[in-house]
Amino acid sequence: MKRIAARTVYTVVVLVLSSIAVFYAIRLSGGDALAARLPASATSEQREAFRELIGLNDAIYIQYFDYVGRLLSGDLGNSLTNNASISTMLVDHGRNSLILGAAAFALVFAIGVPLGILAAVRRNSWTDGGIMSFSVAAMAVPNFWLALLSVWVFASTLRWLPSAGCCSPRQLILPAVVLAMEGIALTVRMTRSAMLENLNQDFVRTLRAGGLSEVRIVGKHVFRNALVPIISLAGLRIGQIVGYALVVETIFGWPGLGQVLVNAVLRRDYPVAQFFSLVLVTVVVLSNWLADIGYTVANPRLRRV
Amino acid sequence: MAEAVSQREAARSDGAEPVLSMRGLRTSVSMRDGSVDVVRGVSLDLYPDEVLCLVGESGCGKTITALSIMRLLPTPPVRIREGQVLFNGRDLLGLSDREMRRVRSEEISMIFQDPLTSLDPVFSIGHVMAEVIRAHRDVDRSIAHEMSIEILDDVGIPDPHRRIDSYPHELSGGMRQRVMIGLALVLDPQILVADEPTTALDVTVQAQILEKLLEEQRERHMSMLLITHDLAVVASVADRVAVMYAGEIVEEAPVDELFEDPKHPYTQGLLRALPHASVKRDALIPIAGRVPPPQMMPPGCFFAPRCPDAIQRCWDDHPEHIDRDGRTYRCINSQPFHRR
Repeated sequence: MKRIAARTVYTVVVLVLSSIAVFYAIRLSGGDALAARLPASATSEQREAFRELIGLNDAIYIQYFDYVGRLLSGDLGNSLTNNASISTMLVDHGRNSLILGAAAFALVFAIGVPLGILAAVRRNSWTDGGIMSFSVAAMAVPNFWLALLSVWVFASTLRWLPSAGCCSPRQLILPAVVLAMEGIALTVRMTRSAMLENLNQDFVRTLRAGGLSEVRIVGKHVFRNALVPIISLAGLRIGQIVGYALVVETIFGWPGLGQVLVNAVLRRDYPVAQFFSLVLVTVVVLSNWLADIGYTVANPRLRRV
Repeated sequence: MAEAVSQREAARSDGAEPVLSMRGLRTSVSMRDGSVDVVRGVSLDLYPDEVLCLVGESGCGKTITALSIMRLLPTPPVRIREGQVLFNGRDLLGLSDREMRRVRSEEISMIFQDPLTSLDPVFSIGHVMAEVIRAHRDVDRSIAHEMSIEILDDVGIPDPHRRIDSYPHELSGGMRQRVMIGLALVLDPQILVADEPTTALDVTVQAQILEKLLEEQRERHMSMLLITHDLAVVASVADRVAVMYAGEIVEEAPVDELFEDPKHPYTQGLLRALPHASVKRDALIPIAGRVPPPQMMPPGCFFAPRCPDAIQRCWDDHPEHIDRDGRTYRCINSQPFHRR
């Protein structure tokens, strides 16, 4: 319990610090925020007046407190480019991102963990060699290239799947697989080594001496022990998926938060860019916090510490 | 206790059949350049109701012998090359994996040296015990739970109703070893193989654990194969002793005879190296030299390079077991024992 409380405090501190960092970074990135908002014919006085109006002339820390205050009161603000409501964007695009992210996350574990277990149980066999080669390849291939390759193979050449769009299940397959690939590779390796480490533990011999079946020993006891490090890395996998979503959503034209964020940054749309950056940071930090809790629950040695 | 021993001896000379009988057991480890025998033709009998101690220094093959009986060797690289392990006349080495699983824990149980690492850390002890019980007996969870509490109480776990939900890390070393004993005895096996069960424990706890093991062995009329390198342990619990050196049994005798009149020079050396209350500390005499590595065993007696009494024939011919005056040992030039 103490451990969970400590992690929670830590999580809140990280959130505050990263929100400051995001806020500053976006303001320091240069470019003219008003180019899209005001007509090209606007005079410099008009521009100055508008800057004053939306508070861009205040010191950055004052802008920060203003912004946080408005966020906390539920006012997410509007886009600078088309005045669209950010809360509407959050709901619409957030749902799409959630679908894609959840599908990728499920694939990471649904494929990565069984392959890792298989490789560990058949260690040093052809099966193991094949799985490990696949995992090295999957880690080495950059996802934007894999995305283009998969579009070329499965959409253009074989015509099995659509190349882009949202949001039917068929349209989900390619982006989800591409998004999951590196996570799968890392999870395979992680699972394999955690399984192997625990297969050599003394307690396995005790269970064998107790007459339990090998399937039970490996599938239940060794796996439960191996799960501790696997869970603690699940948080990192979420972070990875969030990061890669920017690329994958853009390539596949998947209208999620990543795509919104990329467009907002390109147009210097401060309110949108900073809000969705914060959303992504929050998702990553919270998922690490969740992984910490899961880790504590899975490991009885930490429960009462 | 002397009475109990003589009864067992009587039972033996009555022609009681051994419960466990190893015949020419040979176990090898494969390495990059070929394989090497680490157990070299061990034949050993374990009789009903007796405590047989297998002694020898680290690396002599004691643990591999025990794991061979249970078929718990890490294969590969270790495997049984030849021989038989007869349990009530049935060769365990010929059983299918499924049949062997039934034997483990139900007929022959084993406990290990380090109780800290020998219990699964992520499950409560009650969970694992119930799992082992239910792998062998068709009982529901609550009965398995009751059986576990009963055996924990039996092996001296205080407050077993509460302790059964503990995780291994919440227990002391001695308590963990008691849990291991409980886990091993819960199905009431005929044989308990205990591999250095007290080595990892505090000295005060060692005595308690040994006492508990002996008590259970007597109450259950179980046979126990106790593996140890500690002659003080042997002296206090054994009925019979087998001394192992470099993968071979070099001498086998009832415990009193072995301590009084050891025949093999290795046994003699072990006894001279044993601290003795009546002997001054500087009178401890270590055995010179080291065990040769298994792939470089001399052609003659394996102990010849370290033996104070070795003659030329010891270097040339590998000695067979000699039966003389009711004693069995593997030495052609046995000298009378002086404690010196």
